[in-house]
Amino acid sequence: MVPSSQKATRCCIKMAASGRHVGQYFKRNGRLLTFNLEPSLSRRSFGWTSSRGQVAADANKESDENIILPRKKTWSQVAVLEALSSTVGRDPTMYNYRFQDDPFLSPRSFPESKLFSKAQESGKAAAKYFIDSHPKFFTKDFAEPHIPCLMPQTVSVRLEEVSEEALKERISLRKVSAATDMYDQLLQSGTNVSMETTHDLLDLICLYCDQEPGQEVEPQTEDVEPAEERPRVRGRQNRERPEFTWRENNNAERIFNLLPHRDTRCYSALIRGTVKHKAYTKAFSLYTDLLNERLTADVHIFNALILAAPFVREKYAERWELMEELLTQMNQQSVQPSLLTFNNILKSLRRCDSLARSKSLQILSEMKAVGLVPSLATYNHVLGIFYKTSFTAKKTNILQEILSELRGKQFTCQDPDDVHFFRTAMKICLDIKDLELGYEVQRLVEVGENWRLLGNDSQSTGYYGVFFNLLCMMENVDGVLKWYKHLVPSLFYLNSQATRSLFQALDTDSRLDLLPLIWKDMKSSGLDKFSDLVEDLLTLMAREEHSPEVSGRS
Amino acid sequence: GEDTRPDQNQVQRDVSVPQKVHTKTPKSGKEGLLELLSSIKVDITTKRKPRHSTRPNSEKPSTKPKPVHLESISKMYRNAVVDASTQSETLDPKVVSAASAAAATLPNSNQALNELLKQLKENELVTEGQKRGNVNNLRYCSSRKIGTDPKRQNTRTVEQIHHDEGVPGYAQTGVRPEQDAPKHSAVMFSAPPTLWDIDFVQELATCVDHMPRNGLQEMIDWTKDGRMWRYPIDNEAGLEEEANVPFHEHIFLDKHLEKGFPRQGPVRHFMELVVVGLSKNPFLTVQQKKDHIDWFRDYFQQKKDVLKEADVFLQ
Repeated sequence: MVPSSQKATRCCIKMAASGRHVGQYFKRNGRLLTFNLEPSLSRRSFGWTSSRGQVAADANKESDENIILPRKKTWSQVAVLEALSSTVGRDPTMYNYRFQDDPFLSPRSFPESKLFSKAQESGKAAAKYFIDSHPKFFTKDFAEPHIPCLMPQTVSVRLEEVSEEALKERISLRKVSAATDMYDQLLQSGTNVSMETTHDLLDLICLYCDQEPGQEVEPQTEDVEPAEERPRVRGRQNRERPEFTWRENNNAERIFNLLPHRDTRCYSALIRGTVKHKAYTKAFSLYTDLLNERLTADVHIFNALILAAPFVREKYAERWELMEELLTQMNQQSVQPSLLTFNNILKSLRRCDSLARSKSLQILSEMKAVGLVPSLATYNHVLGIFYKTSFTAKKTNILQEILSELRGKQFTCQDPDDVHFFRTAMKICLDIKDLELGYEVQRLVEVGENWRLLGNDSQSTGYYGVFFNLLCMMENVDGVLKWYKHLVPSLFYLNSQATRSLFQALDTDSRLDLLPLIWKDMKSSGLDKFSDLVEDLLTLMAREEHSPEVSGRS
Repeated sequence: GEDTRPDQNQVQRDVSVPQKVHTKTPKSGKEGLLELLSSIKVDITTKRKPRHSTRPNSEKPSTKPKPVHLESISKMYRNAVVDASTQSETLDPKVVSAASAAAATLPNSNQALNELLKQLKENELVTEGQKRGNVNNLRYCSSRKIGTDPKRQNTRTVEQIHHDEGVPGYAQTGVRPEQDAPKHSAVMFSAPPTLWDIDFVQELATCVDHMPRNGLQEMIDWTKDGRMWRYPIDNEAGLEEEANVPFHEHIFLDKHLEKGFPRQGPVRHFMELVVVGLSKNPFLTVQQKKDHIDWFRDYFQQKKDVLKEADVFLQ
């Protein structure tokens, strides 16, 4: 068998080599091949095709090595575009991509960029408002295939009769007062409302603290620009929903007290609502009611109560005791803690100064033991605990440990506090004047999509400002200029603080010949309006005699 | 003796052992042991070397691994994954040999060797356990790991939320949570997501900066929205339901003419022309074509009297 299989192998390789030669080879060695294939006929094979030799050869080869067939790949919808965009990356020479429209309108400074973003978002919001409120003008569908996101959405309530369906509709459209009225009407008419709908209603009222969503503190009339669709502006630090305080005996509590049978979810809605709107003692009293009714709480209740704990006790030790009590109860009721639980514990620990350090490490190890991966918010709170004052900052190097652990990892946002991590870390690097650590942080930001976790405009500007400050202080002027070209203006607009640090850096390294370039950038970004900056610049220029090239004299 | 094994055939996962152990200069067993112990970082070792039978009283597991040089690399890689779990209790044989050499210097060599090996093994187990997270001494959490909850049958990922519950009435301009949705696989909901869950997800989406950094990322956003054709271009995008309808249902519409229409006469002739026209129409769905024919059926039924007068409606 060996010679024939060898021959078959050889001819197989030749067949695999090029298709054009196959026919010629067959013509030449046809008889040889069929002769060699005779013995393999006795074996089971799949067809009288010329690939039979190949099958036989493969069967022989299989005994030598296993052939691993590759799995079929399925590509996502956007795979092609993602591959292309990975080759393009970010353009560091221009303003941020979203500001590239009309070159005249490109924002040159940070306040201008905020205005630009607001204008952009409000334009989109206005268009959406018109489409949604006047759907009769937008009936013709040109797009093939159909684009659902451009179609008018239902904003107004359609069902008018008093029924549970109408109540569900109002809940889904987030109309708080309309839903409450409908519920009251349903109760008065005697119809039974299902428990699930009641849960949803309580969720709605508690989430919005019995106010309409998207409303300002003083109520607006409806013909002012969209009350419900206030654009989510970028660059605004506080969240869109203004902070309301929980009133005593509002609709949520009233409905809650009227319920004949309250279960965990009702309590959960109320407790979460009270904690969110800062009625902390009320939350704890609700919790004691829950315990009295012998119900088991769920993880959201515990998360909320842990957040509320520092506000109901004065002394640090008492705060920690309260949290410990909550945690033991959580264990007793066999409620699994989530990532948010641990993050909230650490957040509350930030308010218990003296105990915080030891307990926080304990919490971290427990977190790992339970199998949860800490998110950036966890590390942010830990940094906040350990680097609280500049005195404590000197005694610890936990930032280094954290950074070495996180090196090269990519993160997603799992907690709203994740976005503060990078700013905190960079601020600490600035305080302890460690440039290497600063570079580590920046390297972590540049991994994959981590830059998205720098937050909105103000937060990312804050981060880059601190980083630039650190660079100007510690790095030589070539490095500073390299990062300057890299960061400005695509990621970071020059502000007066950064310009002053830049002047200092140029001064220390006596590269004052670069001042004309800086002045050009200052002028284009509108910083020439700050007279003290201009004065600083002029004093630097006048300090020494520059070469004729620099001073512009021929 | 063990320095003569061929190195290139082995799958070595334990990279922490320094190379100088391979030198042929003889050392006292104690020095070698101390060196090894100082440099060892405990790792999952999948060293499989031919074991010499000259090692006394070793506490290795009874399964001897096959000699490596006969197996192919691919098999080793495959088996290494399986064996990692079974062999995680094996000590590094270099350590064992060094331990035996050290024990030989002590008076009661067998017992000393056993004790040494036991100590090393315990050390390894403890560090392994702590690496994986020692679950035994938790104060606050029950020892069950997160995510092994058998009640989580009905998990829906965040992606599904954004397909099903499009948040009507609260226009999210400029905030596109769908882009981050696939990455939130860690945030799972075991029941249909409540308002709180949706609110939390929206909050997370506003925290993250999702703005595109170049035109291609903008096109990715548009594709996810559904505004752009998907690459590579597929002519039949958006026509998925039509792909399931076989062609004969579009073309052979005669079967709808069997009931309700006369078999001969001008009406039948007319309807056959209608059917021919419909069969050539690529723009209507089958249901629309059926409705078309049904309309004609009703129409002719209504006008039955007029047609009978004109002697046209032959039944």
